[in-house]
Amino acid sequence: MGDRQDSSPMQAFDKDALDLTVEDVYDISYVIGRDLLKVNTGAREFSDLQFKIVRVLEMFEMMVNKYNLSLEELRMERDNLKSELERVASEESNVTSHNNHQNIGPNKLIVDLKDPNRPRFTMQELKEVLQERNQLKAQLLVAQEELQLYKSGVLGSEQNMVEVNLENPSPSEPPPRIPSENNKEKSTIQKL
Amino acid sequence: MAKKTYDLLFKLLLIGDSGVGKTCVLFRFSDDAFNTTFISTIGIDFKIKTVELQGKKIKLQIWDTAGQERFHTITTSYYRGAMGIMLVYDITNAKSFENISKWLRNIDEHANEDVERMLLGNKCDMEDKRIVPKAKGEQIAKEHGIRFFETSAKANISIEKAFLTLAEDILRKTPVKEPNSENVDISTGGGVTGWKTKCCS
Repeated sequence: MGDRQDSSPMQAFDKDALDLTVEDVYDISYVIGRDLLKVNTGAREFSDLQFKIVRVLEMFEMMVNKYNLSLEELRMERDNLKSELERVASEESNVTSHNNHQNIGPNKLIVDLKDPNRPRFTMQELKEVLQERNQLKAQLLVAQEELQLYKSGVLGSEQNMVEVNLENPSPSEPPPRIPSENNKEKSTIQKL
Repeated sequence: MAKKTYDLLFKLLLIGDSGVGKTCVLFRFSDDAFNTTFISTIGIDFKIKTVELQGKKIKLQIWDTAGQERFHTITTSYYRGAMGIMLVYDITNAKSFENISKWLRNIDEHANEDVERMLLGNKCDMEDKRIVPKAKGEQIAKEHGIRFFETSAKANISIEKAFLTLAEDILRKTPVKEPNSENVDISTGGGVTGWKTKCCS
């Protein structure tokens, strides 16, 4: 605005018609008014003409004003559409990247059927497999223990035999506490 | 007697966040070994170790649980049978310490009321990476009235002591019946009974 006051109002006359602002119209009105004053004859024709000129300038002001407002409106609309377009575009890319989650609802998971390492067993199935594994492991341990026992049991009965021999000088009378399953060993004892 | 493998069976359970070293603690105790490669436990596993306490051979069946949340439903179903529970955290991992209260709640919800509890602060060999002070572990253990050890499966610090102490605490609560082998056999689910009764004449 300050710039406008410094510059001559005459510059408005050099502008492109479509670039004119209301301020330019006021400048033009000022210049025309000033020039009219110079040639004022005081005649009735003059005041008639002055009235018409003022009227034309008012129309001019209105048109420029309207034009500028329309231009401003169009600019705003354009900017709005631009940002709307950006928003929709980014939403679109979001939708494609998170398509799975958005379409199937919360707490859902999409599985890639082509992935050979995809999850495909239920917790219940895993539970059962683990139970079976642990049962088999327990059985193996029991079997290992029994094997150990069998091995050391043979040794144990031999120790018994020694004890027996020490306790009972007569090997023909084995103590009754030796279980019947140890018959084999007993017979070897007896042989010995 | 050579044929008598054990007098009592104690079922223990290891719980705590994933990666605190539950499996390593157990591996050190059962096999006296240590492996640096981290293999996440799938669901639930167990190991057996027989120890001798107060002249009694005690078979420890130690259940090792997966710390990962996704195995929660599987692991919690094993709380009920446990006579002793070891809650393990990692002294270099603040989160694992913060989660102690969560694990204690799990015990309250799923385990027997009279279960013997113990808190272990594992990886105590990594002093330079320590985040949880020993005093904090001691304090939280005291608040809940449970025993506490700082352990290292890697450096073999207090591992055996922790297991033996837990077993002793359970033993102390176990009613002393002379032919207690009967109780044991039921819980092992047979197999052992035959030769066991046979030899204990």
